[in-house]
Amino acid sequence: MEQRKISNGQEVPLTWLREGEVGIVSSIRGGYGRGHGARWGAEKRLMDMGFTPGTEVLVVKSAPFRGPLEVLVRGTRLALGRGLAEKIFVVKKRDV
Amino acid sequence: MSKRKITVALAGNANVGKSVIFNQLTGLHQHIGNWPGKTVEKAEGTLYYKDYVIDIIDLPGIYSLSTYSLEELISRRYIAVEKPDVVVNVVDASALERNLFFTIQLMELEAPMVIALNQMDIARKKGILIDVGKLEELLGIPIVPTIAIKGVGLTQLLDKIIEVAEKGRKRCVEIKYGKEIEERIAKLTEMIKQINYHYPIRYTAIKLLEEDKEIVEEISKINPQIASFARNLATEIEEIHGHPCPSVMTSERYEKVTCIVREVQRITPPLKPSIEEMLHDLTTHRILGYPIMIITLLSIFYTVFIFGGYISELLNGIFYGFESSISGIFGVGVVGSLIWSIMEGVIAGVTIAIPYIAPFYVILYMLEDSGYLCRIAFLMDSLMHRMGLHGKAFIPIILSYGCNVPACLGCRIMETERERLLAVFVTTLIPCAARTVIILGLVGRFLGIEWVLALYVFDLIVIFLLGRLAFKALPGEPAALIMEMPTYRIPHLKTVLKQTFFRLTEFIKIAFPLIIAGSFIIKSMEVLGLLEIISTMLSPITVAWLGLPAITGITLIFGILRKELTLIMLSTLLGTMDFSIILTPTQMIVFTIVTMFYIPCISTIAALIKEVGWKNTLLITVFEIVFAITLGGVAFRILTLIIR
Repeated sequence: MEQRKISNGQEVPLTWLREGEVGIVSSIRGGYGRGHGARWGAEKRLMDMGFTPGTEVLVVKSAPFRGPLEVLVRGTRLALGRGLAEKIFVVKKRDV
Repeated sequence: MSKRKITVALAGNANVGKSVIFNQLTGLHQHIGNWPGKTVEKAEGTLYYKDYVIDIIDLPGIYSLSTYSLEELISRRYIAVEKPDVVVNVVDASALERNLFFTIQLMELEAPMVIALNQMDIARKKGILIDVGKLEELLGIPIVPTIAIKGVGLTQLLDKIIEVAEKGRKRCVEIKYGKEIEERIAKLTEMIKQINYHYPIRYTAIKLLEEDKEIVEEISKINPQIASFARNLATEIEEIHGHPCPSVMTSERYEKVTCIVREVQRITPPLKPSIEEMLHDLTTHRILGYPIMIITLLSIFYTVFIFGGYISELLNGIFYGFESSISGIFGVGVVGSLIWSIMEGVIAGVTIAIPYIAPFYVILYMLEDSGYLCRIAFLMDSLMHRMGLHGKAFIPIILSYGCNVPACLGCRIMETERERLLAVFVTTLIPCAARTVIILGLVGRFLGIEWVLALYVFDLIVIFLLGRLAFKALPGEPAALIMEMPTYRIPHLKTVLKQTFFRLTEFIKIAFPLIIAGSFIIKSMEVLGLLEIISTMLSPITVAWLGLPAITGITLIFGILRKELTLIMLSTLLGTMDFSIILTPTQMIVFTIVTMFYIPCISTIAALIKEVGWKNTLLITVFEIVFAITLGGVAFRILTLIIR
């Protein structure tokens, strides 16, 4: 997993979080599909799975070889391909 | 008094125990087929309860009612157009929030509903308490708590279904969006009222604002003004919120759900992690996960093929015992051998279908039901991605090394049609046990193990390249992995066995006629002396292009029935097992390369038809024939330069 320094309140892709860290979804970027009226790409799919702005996401684990992330969102455990996870932007929740 | 008929549709997310409820309710009155014109499976069952005949349709498992996949489209269309008397929404009590998101979309379809609040036991284990009465009140839908795998709550569920069916449709609570959205929904419904459309008016308005592809397209055809009006309204909402309208509406739905859940659910997490949790951590561990997976898969592989091989041999022995009695009755002439060819077809079918496919299905369903399948997908996703597939495809691919038939059938676990097609294509290229026999029996025996290894490596490279090529060539977006990893649970054996039984029968129905006809046709050609003519006709390919003896043309035709027949026939026709007398090393390798790729065997073709339809099957088959011949010819020319 990428180890990067994240400053307070900075919007970062979900993949930047370390295992055990919680992020609050701020936006989902990229993936509008093609052309007008074709907004059924990654964003919609992620939103339907519960990644709406303001939602807390816990990064549980990251599979090796740049594999998927295991996250906990809305009480459900999800495996999330890295490409998708990179589209989710979060603000890291301060450690409690 | 005649019995009243009730139609019930089961709807719900994946992994909520929907198929368990279906199998518990319908017993052996089941019919598994495909949705008309689609390769998505349709399961129907009938149940006699009190004075009612209840028809149950198991709708494909889905995440939300937006249009991503065929499954979702089929489900919502069925509910809106066929109007089942009752829609039973199976909800996982241990993941209430995600499940209710689906529920409120079902509610928008305005069908009479009953909720089966399933997996109450798992919820309890997780320390989740749900106020069922309160939830009923908030949604306006009757709720029955169930533990389907133990049969708890199912009679109550049936009684509730009948009650709702008899009382007719009772409106559930209408989910309200924000003021600025509701205003625009109202404007749209006024317009939609004037046209005749199969989805409910409010639902149509909502989906138009959400820019739902199917509904926008259909409405544009009926009245393009409505569609463009809706687009303008959506843009207005986008300007107000600063987010695209579909996202705004999804967010609002989730907010509603969160509010409901906050009111009805209390969680007191258990103090120590459960066994299921520990098992999850272990099986997805970044290091330990892999050896555990390899051991599990190897033992599955071993069990299926040792067991299958044993039973297959046994059945073979029994069936071939009949050969002499058939020739005794019908003689060894034309009639006798034609009748025997039909028998041979049956044998081929029986010795593959039952011994290999049955245990494979059992294990596949166990893996899926228990939840281990998605852990494997989690571990293998990164590797499979390079081939344009995601982690789940790993299972069929591994199983292909044993037999392509169950592997093709197993590609059902892929979510989208595109991925299923890709996975199916890749699995047919993998050398199965029969092809391994040829590789070992010909190349291994006469040229040595290093050539065998070289061929396997070559095969892997070809598969990888072709997989990538198909990935690039197929239209549509690659589906990234996003899947729920449900809590581990013990699979429900009865459901697993029933699913196996019905899928097996379905396969036999498709495969047997094809296998028997194939066997009969080839035998007829042999009896009529057509095979020699054909092999002469094929000689421009076999002799001139591939550099093989003309006789291989016949063996390659027989190989369509069963791949190992290419080698067996070769020795029969040549009257020797010592292939080194008649084949040069180059010829052996070319022959093996061609048999590795040239066509899926007839049982695999049957499986392909079942999974991806006629057209795609034909495409795959023709491609592989052309590809194998091209590759064989090129290999012949290159090898001639290397090995003198």
